[in-house]
Amino acid sequence: MPTLLKVQNVSKHFQLHIQNNKHIPALHDVSFEMDQGDILGLTGKSGSGKSSLMKCIYRTYLVNSGTIQLHTDSGAVVDLATANEHEVLKIRKTEMFYCSQFLSVIPRVPAVDVVAESLTRKGHDHAEARARARDLLDQLGLPQELWDAFPATFSGGEQQRVNVARAIIAAPRFLLIDEPTASLDAKTKDVVIDLVLALKARGTSVVLITHDQHTLERMSSRRLHLEFGRVRELATA
Amino acid sequence: MITESKFQQTYNFGFIDESTKKEIRRKLLKAVAIPGYQVPYSSPEMPIARGWGTGGLHATLSLIGPEDIFKIIDQGSDASVNACNLRDFVKRMTNCRTTFDTAEATLIQTRHRKPEEILTDKQIIVFQVPQPEPLRSVERYEFKTRLMHAEADYAKMWVSLYESYVKFGAIMQGAGYPVRVNGRYIMTPSPIPRWDVPNLSMAPCLHVFSAGREKRLHCVPPFTKVEPLEFEDVKFHVEDFGAITCAASGGDKAFMDEIYESETSRKFVMNDSNFMDKVRSGTRPPQRLFTNPTV
Amino acid sequence: MNYQDSDNGWLLRVRNLTKIYGDPISNSIQYTGPAHGTNICPETDAIVACAEINFDLYPGEVLGVVGESGSGKSTLVQLLYFDQMATGGEVHFKAIDEGKTNIVTLSNQRKRQARSSLMGMVYQNPRDGLNFNFSAGGNIAEKLLMAGNFHVGRIRERASFLLEKTEVPVKRMDNTPATFSGGMQQRVQISKAIANNPPLLFLDEVTSGLDVSVQAKVLDLIRHLQRELGVSMIVVSHDLAVIRMLTDRTLVMKNGRIVESGLTDQILQDPQHPYTQLLVSSLL
Repeated sequence: MPTLLKVQNVSKHFQLHIQNNKHIPALHDVSFEMDQGDILGLTGKSGSGKSSLMKCIYRTYLVNSGTIQLHTDSGAVVDLATANEHEVLKIRKTEMFYCSQFLSVIPRVPAVDVVAESLTRKGHDHAEARARARDLLDQLGLPQELWDAFPATFSGGEQQRVNVARAIIAAPRFLLIDEPTASLDAKTKDVVIDLVLALKARGTSVVLITHDQHTLERMSSRRLHLEFGRVRELATA
Repeated sequence: MITESKFQQTYNFGFIDESTKKEIRRKLLKAVAIPGYQVPYSSPEMPIARGWGTGGLHATLSLIGPEDIFKIIDQGSDASVNACNLRDFVKRMTNCRTTFDTAEATLIQTRHRKPEEILTDKQIIVFQVPQPEPLRSVERYEFKTRLMHAEADYAKMWVSLYESYVKFGAIMQGAGYPVRVNGRYIMTPSPIPRWDVPNLSMAPCLHVFSAGREKRLHCVPPFTKVEPLEFEDVKFHVEDFGAITCAASGGDKAFMDEIYESETSRKFVMNDSNFMDKVRSGTRPPQRLFTNPTV
Repeated sequence: MNYQDSDNGWLLRVRNLTKIYGDPISNSIQYTGPAHGTNICPETDAIVACAEINFDLYPGEVLGVVGESGSGKSTLVQLLYFDQMATGGEVHFKAIDEGKTNIVTLSNQRKRQARSSLMGMVYQNPRDGLNFNFSAGGNIAEKLLMAGNFHVGRIRERASFLLEKTEVPVKRMDNTPATFSGGMQQRVQISKAIANNPPLLFLDEVTSGLDVSVQAKVLDLIRHLQRELGVSMIVVSHDLAVIRMLTDRTLVMKNGRIVESGLTDQILQDPQHPYTQLLVSSLL
């Protein structure tokens, strides 16, 4: 398979100017590559840099050094670490989706619209997008009476379902997904895993963070183990 | 009262000194050159109070020559007090011939009317103007109205017409209906009734508008387009007198004064006194009549 | 500053935009800014309201401008909307002469034309954006009339449509905004701003001074309109929650300069400049 992502010598630290210039290291000289259609599991203890790495790829964090080259759908190679903001926004809109650990949504938007929005922003018809959103929420076991409610009022597990649905409904080309199954019951967990695997079968590449051994084993084809912000091991499962 | 003749001075022809007349004429030339544009001018002291026709006198006295035949009307009438007094004054200061006959006059000063009779290219009409700034009702600062004119920024004027229509179902401006002159400046035609507004457009005579108190004059030169502001679907209308006839002359199709005689009866007479006299004597002069749009 | 000079589809391009009040000397800009902690020139007391402003805005993008009072963020949008005259710099706008003209140098007449049909502005104080002597409908009509629409029936149709869209009761159309609540006044301002479907909209602290529930509804409306019309926006706010909810990218201003710019999530989660870090850490 062709290369999707090439991360080279990425280092990241936080300089807290307002707290006596405190220096917090996050990532050190991280390099790896992944192919299209791969599911790469990021593993490591809390604080080992998994989420930081994911946010660097998504450009929520600015790296201090290194390159993050994404081979886009159009065949161009874009360094996400330095690309023009507008270009990053375009890639986020069309092919890269980040599903964070906690649902962060615009307030006062019903769950079904939160999910449908991933489709409508890609140009899908509103009614069709809502229909597909309902379908998916149903598959994920979100009670029907919640579909038109605001997710801010939901329980952790319910929010997680909305979050996952939002990430996978539009079948993004490249999915960054942080703890997708953390607060789900075993049955829903498997539904999520199956849905992501179905995406993979259709060509989606995934970077996955999970503490759940079952999820990791079922999903990831390769694993990147981080310790204190450094790559400890890159292995094929 | 001064009775001793040795204290009486002889005045310059037309009261105003020659250099001031020259200044006013220069400003008039500028006003003719830029139709509808308000030209500031000196507005010298006159022996009447500002606001009583000083602007009209300034223009009249700087334009008048010994051969001119002068007519002055106030609200259409040659006989009103203001017209009589100003006529006497101009007569004493110039010794010109005066007349009531609209056709005979070469220079006509007026307040609040344009005569019904078509004026010719041999005639000049001078309007007395109380407020020359059409935008004053929507913008109180002079520096801003000047900018608005300079940049043809007339949106506020239009909004006020829109508001008038929304509030009253019609554009209520009765006198001094705003007009666009020569496709550029918005101008007030002085407080003439809407009836007279169409007669300003493409007329053979020169119109001079002069506001003594505000020290501004503007002109509508002969054969210049004057368009009342109107919307595509809310058109300008003149006063509709229907089939009303003049109680004194029996004539119709002229701007009428409504006269109440008792609690229950009223009658109409033509406002233009000379025109009425001519209709009464059976020689109705040529007139340009405006037909209201049917919408 | 991370921007490219190549033409890659920008809508608005701002280069070195500067506004100075008073008498500047050649060093006024050098002696002011965040490094000096002031925007007042120490030699002449000239106020450098904003200087060295560079950014591009793309079609459909929402750009946030955040900073404390006096940082120059309102001045920035007022310069772009021609409420104030720039002292120097260049602004290019694709909707005017295909972006070839520096619109700072346009004649007043053309600037007004641009304001009426190509831009919209919503001010913090509705009295700045609305004429309280006119009705709500009249205020919207003003924009439509300026753009050459002289048909009362169509004007009223469009005004009703806009008021409906912004959830102002249409039956209040002929009342003056003075009789409206603060939230409703803001909605009328928004209706007026979008009356001619401009490609560019400026929002200056539009929710400051409104109570929280009204604030939320106005923000929802703006977000909704942005999605629906695809209009590009510059949103000025000192409120990071507003910035987070509405914008894709953010400029952080201090002492009249841009101290940091980036994607909004990056500015909020990985702020680089000490001032931005302070700002983010002050978020409730």
